[in-house]
Amino acid sequence: MHIPDGYLSPETCGVFGAAMVPVWTTAGRRVRKIVKNRYVPLVALGAAYSFLVMMFNVPIPDGTTAHAVGAVLIAVLLGPWAAVVAVSIALLIQALFFGDGGVLALGANTFNMAFVMPMVGYGVYRTLSRNVSLTSPRRPIAAGMGAYVGLNAAAFCSAVELGLQPALFHSANGTPLYSPFHLAQSIPAMAFAHLTVAGGVEFALTAGVVAYLQRANLPLLRINHRAVPDTDAELAPPNRPPWRWALVGLATLVVLTPVGLRAPGGAFGEDALSDLPLHKYHLDAVPTGLRHYAGFWHNALFNGYGFDNGSHPTIGYLVSALVGIAVIGAVVFAGFTVVRRVRRGHDVDDDFETAPT
Amino acid sequence: MSATSTTPKWLLQHEVGLCPCACIGKRRKGGVIEKTTSGAAALLRQTLFSEDVAGERGLLQRLDPRVKVLSLLGLLVVTADLRHIPVLLGMYAGTLALAAASKLRLSFFVKRVWLFIPVFTGVVVLPATLNVVTHGDIVVPLGTWFGHHLGLTEQGLRSAGLVVTRVATSISLVVLLTISTPWAKLLAALRALRAPRLLILVLGMAYRYLFLLLNAVTDMYVARRARTVAGATDATSGRLLVAASAGALFGKAQTLAEEVHLAMVARGYAGDARSVTAFRMRLLDAAFVLACVAAAVAAVGVDRLLGR
Repeated sequence: MHIPDGYLSPETCGVFGAAMVPVWTTAGRRVRKIVKNRYVPLVALGAAYSFLVMMFNVPIPDGTTAHAVGAVLIAVLLGPWAAVVAVSIALLIQALFFGDGGVLALGANTFNMAFVMPMVGYGVYRTLSRNVSLTSPRRPIAAGMGAYVGLNAAAFCSAVELGLQPALFHSANGTPLYSPFHLAQSIPAMAFAHLTVAGGVEFALTAGVVAYLQRANLPLLRINHRAVPDTDAELAPPNRPPWRWALVGLATLVVLTPVGLRAPGGAFGEDALSDLPLHKYHLDAVPTGLRHYAGFWHNALFNGYGFDNGSHPTIGYLVSALVGIAVIGAVVFAGFTVVRRVRRGHDVDDDFETAPT
Repeated sequence: MSATSTTPKWLLQHEVGLCPCACIGKRRKGGVIEKTTSGAAALLRQTLFSEDVAGERGLLQRLDPRVKVLSLLGLLVVTADLRHIPVLLGMYAGTLALAAASKLRLSFFVKRVWLFIPVFTGVVVLPATLNVVTHGDIVVPLGTWFGHHLGLTEQGLRSAGLVVTRVATSISLVVLLTISTPWAKLLAALRALRAPRLLILVLGMAYRYLFLLLNAVTDMYVARRARTVAGATDATSGRLLVAASAGALFGKAQTLAEEVHLAMVARGYAGDARSVTAFRMRLLDAAFVLACVAAAVAAVGVDRLLGR
């Protein structure tokens, strides 16, 4: 994802360089506030570590190896703002001392890999690891997912930067002056490579390192997770019911109910007798059993999800939906109440049995 | 650095006794361990070689580093702005001349730049010559495909040529700067050019400890290789190894950072940095700046004359 010099117009490089100045200032100030005069060695070693993480070969299934960026890993270990500084300096060393990645394109490269990637990835990691202890197996997965999403966000940004070039900078006869691929080509190409191989590599490295530190060196994880308890047993009990996400999902479905009004045709295998394509199978009559049971129930409240007389189909559909939700809700609530009553009775019995005598 | 202290060739070779072009002996597909150790060795090799070149007494090596940084970066910006292949080729010829004047072996210089370009830029830019990607006037028809005419367009070919020559010239300029300047002088020059003091301090320390940590990585991998009896490890255990070594390396880096901090405090560090290097501009530097400005003006002028 290192964009070399020559792919981006000087204007683009200037814009991204200018955009990174406030980011670097903020990052420098926030990191210095925490680590005081330990700033220089800590950030320097973080940058050297970031440089070396980019050098590690990670094996991929086809027998070859690939490199990871490691920006989200550093954000998880040292915090997102420290990651901004460390990865920026690692990229600067690569560009300046080793000729890898452009010098003019440094602004764009740091924007993608040292700003977007750690910030997005760390956000995902924090969301997925909320209320999770330091040694929980969910933590490496959250870090890996953060790395995967962060890397793809960075790849998307660089695809947009490259893809804008032919539209913005071309000569009179349409010759692209810089990167020649349009957005419609650059975004799928970058997304394909990073959603599959590179994203997997980033996931494997980040999740692997966090899992290793959980096993072997927990104090290193504590650097950026001061308030997080070590084991699940020490976690404060969640103050919201654990099934709140189920409620969110159900509420979404309820809100989406009117979509059913727009659906054409009927549900598969639920045709009325008159709609059956009997002649297609050379049948003249409906089988008697089918005819008998098709008309078995005549007392439906909302026949065909509408009023009996067929007037106001939209209102009828919505009213039947509301009544249906209310009835199902009442049944589930009643079931829950019964189960809870029964269980509480059991608990009381158990207490009596185990109570000291 | 004198010529007698250059790094011997056999030490820099990938595998002793094996021809680098793989015409003699059998070349195994290296596993994770081999690739990482050889990558580390390549990094060291590149650094040692740069220091060797920076120690020669050529044109660029004798210049004031500030002058060199400013003028080569200026040429880089000019290169990014050029829009005609012949002008870019002229700039590239200029970098070749500078390399020759700085006692760089031209074969090495050309190889270093063009080895990178085919694998990356060449492959990336190739599809852009087709009319499917870059619309325009077809100059090399390649027949039809599902009823659509397929061919290389004039615009596509020109665009690919532009990108390739521009990337080659830009890389050459940066390589010239980095290979002819010892890193300590490069940092001092950046400081003299008003780069933030803290940035220079961090950059210098990061670069210095980079090699210490690199040694730690090499040690870990060589030790692992020495303990491995069977052949190449499979991908899963390879990934475990990489994750464990990256985790262990983070521990080492943290310990080192704490120790370095204590050592700095013990020597009286209070959060402020000083630099002792003083540079002096000479006649040669002024002449070089003038030549660069003239080259830039000429390149931009010809470029504008050829049309925008």
